[in-house]
Amino acid sequence: MEFVVISLLNGITYGLLLFMLSSGLTLIFSMMGILNFAHASFYMLGAYFAYQISTLVGFWPGLLVAPLLVGAVGALVERYGLRRAHRFGHVAELLFTFGLAFVVEEVVHLIWGKVAVDYKIPDELDGTLFTLFDTAFPMYRGFMMLVSVGMLVALYALLTRTRIGLIIQAALTKPDMVEALGHNVPRIFMLVFGGGTALAGLAGVIGGNAFITEPGMAAAVGSIVFVIVVVGGLGSLGGAFIASLLIGCIQTFSVGLSISITDVFALIGVELLEGSQVARLTITQLAPVLPYLLMVAILIFRPRGLMGAREN
Amino acid sequence: MNSAIFSRSRLALWGGCLALAFALPLVLKSGFIISLLCQIGIMAVFSLSYNMLLGQTGLLSFGHAVYYGLGAFATMHLLNAIGKGGGPLTTALLPFVGGLAGLAAGIVLGYVTTRKAGTTFAMITLGIGEMVAACSLMFPGIFGGEGGVSGNRVVGKETLLGFTWGPQVEMYGLIVLWAFACTIAMFALTQTPLGRMANAVRDNPERAEFVGYDTERVRFLMVILSGFFAGVAGGLSALNYEIVTAETLNAHTSGVVLLIAFVGGIGFFYGPIIGAILVTVMQIVIGGMTHAWLLYFGLFFLFMVLVAPGGIASLIVVQRALWQAGLLGRMLPHYAATALPVLILLAGLVGLIELGYALLTGDAGVGAGDTATKVLGMQLQLGTPGPWLTALAVTGIGIVLTRWIGGRLRSEWNATLATLHGDKA
Amino acid sequence: MNVPAIRLQGLKKNFGASEIIRGVDLDIHRGERHAIIGPNGAGKSTLFHLISARLPITSGTIELKGEDVVGLKPFEINRKGLSRSFQITNIFHNLSVFENLRCAVLWSLGYRYSFWRRLAGLKDARLRAEAVMEDIGLTKRRDTPAGILSYAEQRALEIGITIASGADVILLDEPTAGMSNTETEEAVALIRRVTEGKTLVMVEHDMGVVFGLADRISVLVYGQIIATDAPAAIRCNAAVQEAYLGTSLHSGNDHE
Repeated sequence: MEFVVISLLNGITYGLLLFMLSSGLTLIFSMMGILNFAHASFYMLGAYFAYQISTLVGFWPGLLVAPLLVGAVGALVERYGLRRAHRFGHVAELLFTFGLAFVVEEVVHLIWGKVAVDYKIPDELDGTLFTLFDTAFPMYRGFMMLVSVGMLVALYALLTRTRIGLIIQAALTKPDMVEALGHNVPRIFMLVFGGGTALAGLAGVIGGNAFITEPGMAAAVGSIVFVIVVVGGLGSLGGAFIASLLIGCIQTFSVGLSISITDVFALIGVELLEGSQVARLTITQLAPVLPYLLMVAILIFRPRGLMGAREN
Repeated sequence: MNSAIFSRSRLALWGGCLALAFALPLVLKSGFIISLLCQIGIMAVFSLSYNMLLGQTGLLSFGHAVYYGLGAFATMHLLNAIGKGGGPLTTALLPFVGGLAGLAAGIVLGYVTTRKAGTTFAMITLGIGEMVAACSLMFPGIFGGEGGVSGNRVVGKETLLGFTWGPQVEMYGLIVLWAFACTIAMFALTQTPLGRMANAVRDNPERAEFVGYDTERVRFLMVILSGFFAGVAGGLSALNYEIVTAETLNAHTSGVVLLIAFVGGIGFFYGPIIGAILVTVMQIVIGGMTHAWLLYFGLFFLFMVLVAPGGIASLIVVQRALWQAGLLGRMLPHYAATALPVLILLAGLVGLIELGYALLTGDAGVGAGDTATKVLGMQLQLGTPGPWLTALAVTGIGIVLTRWIGGRLRSEWNATLATLHGDKA
Repeated sequence: MNVPAIRLQGLKKNFGASEIIRGVDLDIHRGERHAIIGPNGAGKSTLFHLISARLPITSGTIELKGEDVVGLKPFEINRKGLSRSFQITNIFHNLSVFENLRCAVLWSLGYRYSFWRRLAGLKDARLRAEAVMEDIGLTKRRDTPAGILSYAEQRALEIGITIASGADVILLDEPTAGMSNTETEEAVALIRRVTEGKTLVMVEHDMGVVFGLADRISVLVYGQIIATDAPAAIRCNAAVQEAYLGTSLHSGNDHE
């Protein structure tokens, strides 16, 4: 019971963090047709920027400044890179972001080295929020949840309550029409790309110290975020939300379960042959593969994703 | 039949290349160069197989290393299983088994990935690639864990026409034979109904459906066949390096093959071969000089995407067209004039990157940070502003000059291209 | 002749809440040239998309030569002998004119997904593609990439791809849209020539083309067919005059 509640809370925290990434990715994809391969690289940049700022002036300024810096980098990338690549079509754009991810990783190697940096949780938040049965729920997880939910509410308000939000929503489905109505679509694109990457940066700021800040973090999170977008349905914010929480929970739960495949099959009355390598694997060992298995299952049984409306 | 695969001029070209490939080790006897050539041969097959998807079918895959890696592991395990029972002939044929493993993987994984095309296909291949990579760490019995699986390509005491494949130069001969066979097979494939319909599906999947073709089936078959050739390349790598690690099937390897094919030119059959030669040589030469090699490579790739998305092959094709039209002479002085400022700019940028690299990581280890470094024999003090300002100034001058002269190059280029197309019409 | 080439019964298509095709019943006879006309937004192209399975239907039945084809994929319908062109040119842009046509004949000649036969050795495919190329007047452009052909040439190629497979039911979606008068005349002659002995269904706005080519005409207005008849009868039909526009029908007379 306590395992379930704690895992659920952790899963939701992680899921919300993933949604901060997948929502930005979805917005950028829906609007510009670009699958930003480097999205997780901006997440990594957020973490490293925040680390650098925290060593100089502390965590709190970084919480604000690092995402803005990341967003600025994103806007510059859109203005001087993607817009140019756009002339050569979607494959060139995708390849550009792919190359960018490559370069960002190397730059991070160059500046911060190849091993993890010591990006610490601020002292104010380093403690226990509450204790459930015998397990403590850290205060920082609560803070992460707070920031994520706050961010989501702000994003929702921005998209539904403001003029620019309405234009963005319109451009999601009919970019040509929006352009015809006289809106500066390139500038909106730059804004959306900058905004989406800033969101990824914020996720990096609050995720980097909760998990780990290292050059491999972008690749590790990046493929998971892609899985989320495929599972949720390409271009669907609602689908991305559900898939983020689902995968957040799957990963959290599976890490904590040490029963083996044999035990699982025993539950449903099937005896596996003793001794085979598969039979001895535990759920924990399987954890890294589960999101991908989910993706494969979705592709076979519901190819357009959980909430996806359009095919390609 | 003028468009036959084995037309006289094409036969001459293939024959010439084969002769050159066999002659190279006779001239260049250094072991280093022969290993380099082996690597190029393997990468050429691998990247050609990749281009069957990207260039010919329009499928951008981020997980192609899976087929390469599984082919390598299958070959290695079979090599070890046969052990003393085999001989040079079985060893020489082992890459075919690697190909079959790649083909089998193509059937299983392609069934899932080819349900989609376009961007979704790209994302799914990434996910599938990660899944296989994660699985490989889960089964150390098969994939050898961190250390990988190793073996010995020399089995038994017999020889095949005097060959045991033990010496690197013999291995090189084997690689050349396989690489040629695969290249000819892949080229022949482009000249078949399936190969042509793959182009059609790339250009316009909807139309392909309305002339009677199931686009999913076309993509699926192309993935399977490309998996076969990737598997052969993997099998060759297993024999060549005599070790296979989990890295052969991870995302990094998938990324590298994409970069190679793209830089070479995905619009041309031979583009990936150019890419394999260029990137492998760069990797060995520049990689031997600086730790920042991957950064340079990444920047070079971005530059190619933005400036020459057709790759090196497209540049060659355009120059040849200019030459045939008698216009190349008009462009040459401009190329030469642009080379200098670009070199200055490059020197400045490289200086900045190298200085930064030396300061931040240094030779003493990560994070140690050196205070002094040697560049071209000069002892530079990193703590002082001198070297930095110099590099910065060189970069600045390079930017200004490149913009100035580059603008003139561009207008001349556009004018020349206009003349070229005007002549054609 | 007993079984119609195409039979539509109670065909409906909704996009969300809006009904675009609102119950169409139509028999297209074998070997006839049938034109579908109607004002903009009447659902003519949508009707084509439903018949060729580009869009799924909401309800009703579609029979092709007496066989129920609802739920089949576009390529399956194509293999049953129905081929269509598109209003917006839909060709293989990077392939040459000859390759475009050769791709269009491969399936019908039974070469399927073959990767063991050389294209260059397939004499029948080459001859058929060359014959079609001659028919559509693009022999001079044999090796030109389709993407850089002129608009009229691309339209001709579009028709060429559609007929190349030898399908006996041909759907042409506005084959002369955007053409000059001379180009239109050439296109009409081309269509007449290449659909000889086949069933032709076409959507067309140019009344000159419609009355010049069609054996029968159906008038589609707001998703329903209000009349199907011979051209002369359609011209006199009071309901058509009223519901459609008398003016454009008359302007059609001027063309003749």
